[in-house]
Amino acid sequence: MSRILSYVIGAVVSAVLHVGVIVALWANWQPSSETVYLQPKYVVAELVQLAPRAPGVSKEKKTSVTSDQLARKKKRQLEERERKRRADKRRDDAEKAALAKRKKRQDEERAALEKRQLEERQRVEREQQQAEWEDMLAQEEAQMDAQEDQRAANSYRQIIQQRLSENWSRPPSARRNMEAQVRIQLVPTGRVVGVSIIKSSGDAAFDRSVEQAVRKAHQFIELQAMDSRLFELKFRSVDVAFSPEDLRL
Amino acid sequence: MSEENLSILSLILNASVLVQAVMAILFLASAISWVMIIQRGMYLSAAQRDFRQFEETFWSGIDLNSLYREISEQQEENVAPTGIENIFRAGFGEFNRLVRLEKPDPDAVIESTDRAMRIALSREEESLGTHLPFLASVASVSPYIGLFGTVWGIMNSFRGLAMVQQATLATVAPGISEALIATAMGLFAAIPAVIAYNRYAALAERMNTSYETFADEFSSILYRQFHAR
Repeated sequence: MSRILSYVIGAVVSAVLHVGVIVALWANWQPSSETVYLQPKYVVAELVQLAPRAPGVSKEKKTSVTSDQLARKKKRQLEERERKRRADKRRDDAEKAALAKRKKRQDEERAALEKRQLEERQRVEREQQQAEWEDMLAQEEAQMDAQEDQRAANSYRQIIQQRLSENWSRPPSARRNMEAQVRIQLVPTGRVVGVSIIKSSGDAAFDRSVEQAVRKAHQFIELQAMDSRLFELKFRSVDVAFSPEDLRL
Repeated sequence: MSEENLSILSLILNASVLVQAVMAILFLASAISWVMIIQRGMYLSAAQRDFRQFEETFWSGIDLNSLYREISEQQEENVAPTGIENIFRAGFGEFNRLVRLEKPDPDAVIESTDRAMRIALSREEESLGTHLPFLASVASVSPYIGLFGTVWGIMNSFRGLAMVQQATLATVAPGISEALIATAMGLFAAIPAVIAYNRYAALAERMNTSYETFADEFSSILYRQFHAR
């Protein structure tokens, strides 16, 4: 009798306990904690353009410029011819006048000469202007090329930077304001042929880790796509600065 | 990941079937073990109390025959005799029966009384120890069951991780959290069971020793009584 009673009491207490736990869970009881979920916010910079810009584009521009130029030149020549013809006519008139009025001839002749001289001077000036214009054009083109190079170089730099930072394991002794600069010697296949530290961070482990990172990167295979002019210009040897916050080229 | 999706209950409900089964087993084990814990606790404390009371009346110099009668009357009124009363009744009843015989052999009487009491004692020992093996197995096994659920859950969550491209902490965290609930439940079931088992086993052992001591003492009293005649 009392044994059964004790079982019943046990069952009731146990049921109450467990139902209580379930209810607590249901009511989403949790030890008061503010859960803050920190998710890494990645800004993934993707390389949109790897190859130096297709030469077709810039060429097109060039041809359009030249055709423009040609038209202008032609126009100018025409004008000049016209002017010349007019001048000739005037000269003829002057001669006629000289014939007619010998008295005034010398004056007239002088005037014509002056005029011719003036014209000549004008023409020279104009030619100079045109030369200047052409120079400017050439300069602009060179600048555009340089920009192009710069852009391509930047994209390659980015690749190198990314690869190096992937391979770099920062030593525990790294501090925020440390910086080590290395010079990487590359060959056109993208292979690293030499690493030398040109500015030590002052921490041997840090320097070693930097060197290790470059050695681990081993080859930047993407550099094979680069044209050799740019490579010789900028990527034969690359200086990279490593600092714990980021990795700068 | 919103807060709502990470409440423990929703994690349980979203867990895989095997993990849920593990959790259900553990929950059931916990519920049953609590029934046992409470029942045992009540039974053992009652036995302890009764033993103390009985000893008090026994050593107060009461007439053993009237004590025996009282207990027998109680039993007729359908009040269950306590452990110590059972032993006393078995021994004293046997003794009375044998003494009433003509020319009882003292050795045989004492031996027979002892035997009767030993039988009652072993019965009491049995009833003191009931359910304790269950508590012991819940205590020792449920952490393993929980661990199994956790390992399974984490295994699945890592398998899922292998299939995604960009693995962040947020992709594995819910799975692991869900899996860890199984371990938590295992511990939830095991800890009370361990404590209860240790406590009750010690208590049962002590009660047993007390009963045995009483049986010996009682036997020696009967022996004296028999020879004093």
